[in-house]
Amino acid sequence: MIDYEFLKAHSLNEALDYLGSYENVKVIAGGTDILVDIRKENERAKSLKYLLDISKLKELKFIEGRKDCMAIGALSTHTMLVESAVINKHFPLLVSAAKTIGSTQIRNRGTVGGNINNASPAADLLPPLIALKAHVKLRSAKGEREVLIDEFLAGPYRTNRQSGEIMTEVCVPLLGEGYFMNFQKIGRRKAMNIARLNLAIVLGINDGAIFDSRVVPGAATAYPMRFRKVEEAISGKDIKDIDLAEIGELASDEMISATGVRWSTPYKRIALASLVKRALETIFMEAKADE
Amino acid sequence: MSDIEVTITVNGAKHCLEVGPKERLLDTLRERLHLTGTKEGCGVGECGACTVILDGEAVHSCLVLTAQINGSKVLTVEGLEVDGRLHPLQEAFIKHHAVQCGFCTPGMLMSAKALLDKNPNPTREEIKTAIEGNLCRCTGYEQIIEAIESVAKEFRGVSS
Repeated sequence: MIDYEFLKAHSLNEALDYLGSYENVKVIAGGTDILVDIRKENERAKSLKYLLDISKLKELKFIEGRKDCMAIGALSTHTMLVESAVINKHFPLLVSAAKTIGSTQIRNRGTVGGNINNASPAADLLPPLIALKAHVKLRSAKGEREVLIDEFLAGPYRTNRQSGEIMTEVCVPLLGEGYFMNFQKIGRRKAMNIARLNLAIVLGINDGAIFDSRVVPGAATAYPMRFRKVEEAISGKDIKDIDLAEIGELASDEMISATGVRWSTPYKRIALASLVKRALETIFMEAKADE
Repeated sequence: MSDIEVTITVNGAKHCLEVGPKERLLDTLRERLHLTGTKEGCGVGECGACTVILDGEAVHSCLVLTAQINGSKVLTVEGLEVDGRLHPLQEAFIKHHAVQCGFCTPGMLMSAKALLDKNPNPTREEIKTAIEGNLCRCTGYEQIIEAIESVAKEFRGVSS
């Protein structure tokens, strides 16, 4: 039985005060991950002494267009992403990913900040946010800092967030002309589906040539990361010269070089190759139609 | 362990409660308020049997701590009936044989209600998405979808 005390923050400053003066505090918002961890007495929740509720901090619940980025408040729900006109317009990739999370009930309650901070290897928002070069803002009593998402992740279910810090928002830089993006996911069923594999690809294509490539599989490695060898292999190439099967294989090789051969490798080797092929195929078709 | 004071409105009635840090909304509804229409299935947000409407949105009451929702409004299946008259969704579930063992029904109804409140004219796909987090192990989903569709159609009939 995990025993804890409940603390409620009525403002961000109050939350930071609590974090500064108590130890073994976990922050709760939507609770769709942490309450499951507590109930299942998961190792990740065992050290918990205080649960700090920030779910009613309205100042962290927003989606706001800024000059060069789209700012998403940490307490924005997945439903807010799906329903946001500006996110649909600029980052359909995030919408596709958010739609696949859990179920309507989970998307209504689960938050963007929660998905990032829980840092599950299979988190559906992480590959798109890494591929979009998003950064997070972390606030503490000492001030504020910004960290790129791929540097924020430190391992499976681990981040570089310090104990006195709260994530306030994630900022997604707006893309220029010629960008295309795609999200893929496979799991055991369509709803309530924890990704066996997911994948985000963002490509900049000009006159058929790839000038920017970002390829981020999820649930393939200990935590989602850019697959640099795959990116290099397609960067600068003309899309009609790219052998999709070969690039798919390359992605599988890059996964295995990171993880070694695991029990799931015979499945994931083939599945990841197919996902990469499928995502690239879709993007190339869109790019051709756009010419 | 200190208790936390919470005021919530459930089916229109205000309740001032002192709850423990671990008490889930599901526990409050069933054990304190004796609203046992809301069911506990899996307890981890996978089956949807405990679905209620919290401030206008369908949520799992097993994944909400009551201490978190001071000032919120909750609607449970008991709140659907008005003056002894069943809600059109309840009538439709009966008419379309969308109930067999009945365990998933309160959750299904609340997911359907939340959908129609937000979008009175949903497509079949939107209905499926709205209930994708609600498991039914008896009927299959066909009759349930038909029941929800029929209420949406009725609504269109009335408004046009």
